[in-house]
Amino acid sequence: MIDPSLACFLEEGLGIHLGVSDAGLEPQGARAIAATVDADGAHLTVYLATVAAARLRPALQSNGRVAVSFGRPIDDRACQVKGELVGISDADAGARPAIEAQWQGYLTNLAQIGIPRAVFAGWTMWPATAIRLRVTALFEQTPGPDAGARLP
Amino acid sequence: MTPTLESLATCFQGLLPAQFFTCSADGVPNAAYLSHVDYVDASHVALSFQFFNKSRRNIAENPRAMVMVPDPDTGQGWCLRLRYVRSETSGPLFDRMALRIEAIASYCGLKGIFKLRAADVYEVLGIEAAPEETGLAPVDSQGRARASREANPIFTITALQDLASRLHGADSLEALVDSILEGLDTSFGFKHSMMLVPTEEEGVLVTIATRGYAEDGAGAEVRHGEGIGGLVAEARKPIRVSGLMRGMLYALAMHKAARATSPAAPVRRIALPGLPNPESQLGVPLLVRGELVGVLCLESEVPYRFHEEDKASIELLGSYLAIAIQNVQWQEREAEASQTTTESPAPPSPVPGSTPGPPTRGIVYYEGDDAILVDDEYLIRGLPARILWRLLRVRETTGREEFTNRELRLDKSLQLPEWKDNLESRLLLLRRRLDEKRPDIRIVPRGRGRFALQVTAPLTLTTRE
Repeated sequence: MIDPSLACFLEEGLGIHLGVSDAGLEPQGARAIAATVDADGAHLTVYLATVAAARLRPALQSNGRVAVSFGRPIDDRACQVKGELVGISDADAGARPAIEAQWQGYLTNLAQIGIPRAVFAGWTMWPATAIRLRVTALFEQTPGPDAGARLP
Repeated sequence: MTPTLESLATCFQGLLPAQFFTCSADGVPNAAYLSHVDYVDASHVALSFQFFNKSRRNIAENPRAMVMVPDPDTGQGWCLRLRYVRSETSGPLFDRMALRIEAIASYCGLKGIFKLRAADVYEVLGIEAAPEETGLAPVDSQGRARASREANPIFTITALQDLASRLHGADSLEALVDSILEGLDTSFGFKHSMMLVPTEEEGVLVTIATRGYAEDGAGAEVRHGEGIGGLVAEARKPIRVSGLMRGMLYALAMHKAARATSPAAPVRRIALPGLPNPESQLGVPLLVRGELVGVLCLESEVPYRFHEEDKASIELLGSYLAIAIQNVQWQEREAEASQTTTESPAPPSPVPGSTPGPPTRGIVYYEGDDAILVDDEYLIRGLPARILWRLLRVRETTGREEFTNRELRLDKSLQLPEWKDNLESRLLLLRRRLDEKRPDIRIVPRGRGRFALQVTAPLTLTTRE
């Protein structure tokens, strides 16, 4: 279960990556652009540029198990959410402002560590695909000896 | 067209975090940030292994992995399909990766806290562009489009000729080190630099020249293993760090996490001249036949200032500079062999009660610490302190103000090393330190192997335990 405090962190505009693996145990991954946590804390929706989601879709549909890493560049606080696929759909236009706000928050974070926004001007954000997961486990990932420890 | 690994060199500088995807034997994926991906050869990369974690356990079960690395110049993301090959715990690759981690940790004052357990080597099975991370033309640190390195090379023949001509014109150690740093600035654009030399104390370096900093910094000391200069001296290998801020944030995050479980984590900053927020550092050892003559350190606020070819070129240049430094020291020593001590009277001492003159300087030599304080302010220690104390005592007792390097070499009380005493660099350091801190006591060169002690304030000399 994602508690409200962790949900705030996950939705603040972070570096997000989604990892999957196909039936042949070949790992794959892509950059995601935003995430939202359901009020129940048991479900997470991760938004990917549709060009990225297309690459992962076969593995997602064949395996269904997903890992999502979240990292804040300015202090490297990070965690990982493990989950199982509930559904894949086109992101609703109504969700776009919230997605864009998170994305801009992430780019601002990168700018704070000296990476100019112009570097990411070519990164795709829209159209986006929503990948809805049922959360199965949470892990600490901030670099250090506790990285990998299970979060309550 | 599939790019080569060599063409992705900028992606392996740690400027942007890489993402590592693995999968357990039962099909559970894992996604984690990586501190460092290093280029090994045309078909292999190495990943830093610092902690036992899920990624490492997955690799033990299933050697396949994927790493995503963005190009910090263009923004283009690349997906590298990998297969684990081996772990290296020693050798050049391991040393290079460990030194980078040590350099960043040391800069944060956290040296020795983080250890590289292994450099994990992976074969690169495929490289694909990530369509969600489309690249643009290269941009500079302000986000402006910049010319490629190929179109705008730094180490041109003209620049090298310019540097060589500066070095040939230098007739003393002081002129030479200043020419080197000035040439690196004006001919190559490396604005912030410093040169350190070994002291008579084992494992200690001292700064003898700097360029581009607010403080001159002469006399600032660093121990082997501390900061990039100390690490270069210890390893006797060049070290290049890019994306220092990112690396420091990563190190500090680890430190914070480590401190929660281990309270013995000292925080210490090294007092050396330096940029307040360096992003790139490059240090090269100046070696002549295996002997460390000095260390040259360059810094920049640009995250990826020193490219691979810069490291190689500066390393090559370093051998040339080391020989030049050693040669000028030999030349000065040969010249001094023909010198004799010249007696000259001391200038008239100011008469108490006459026209108001400069205030009296209280100079104290602390024998126990081998250090000199002027008006209770630390000036210098070690061999330069002993030299200054001798000069001041001779001047006080005989009135003599002209000295030669040769007489210093013959004075056993100074305890100069029998072999390779580096007297010239100690005199240069002393001179710079006096110029910066006590301009009323000056050491003025009088030709090769000779110098004068010029004092324009009344002095009181005291020895203490």
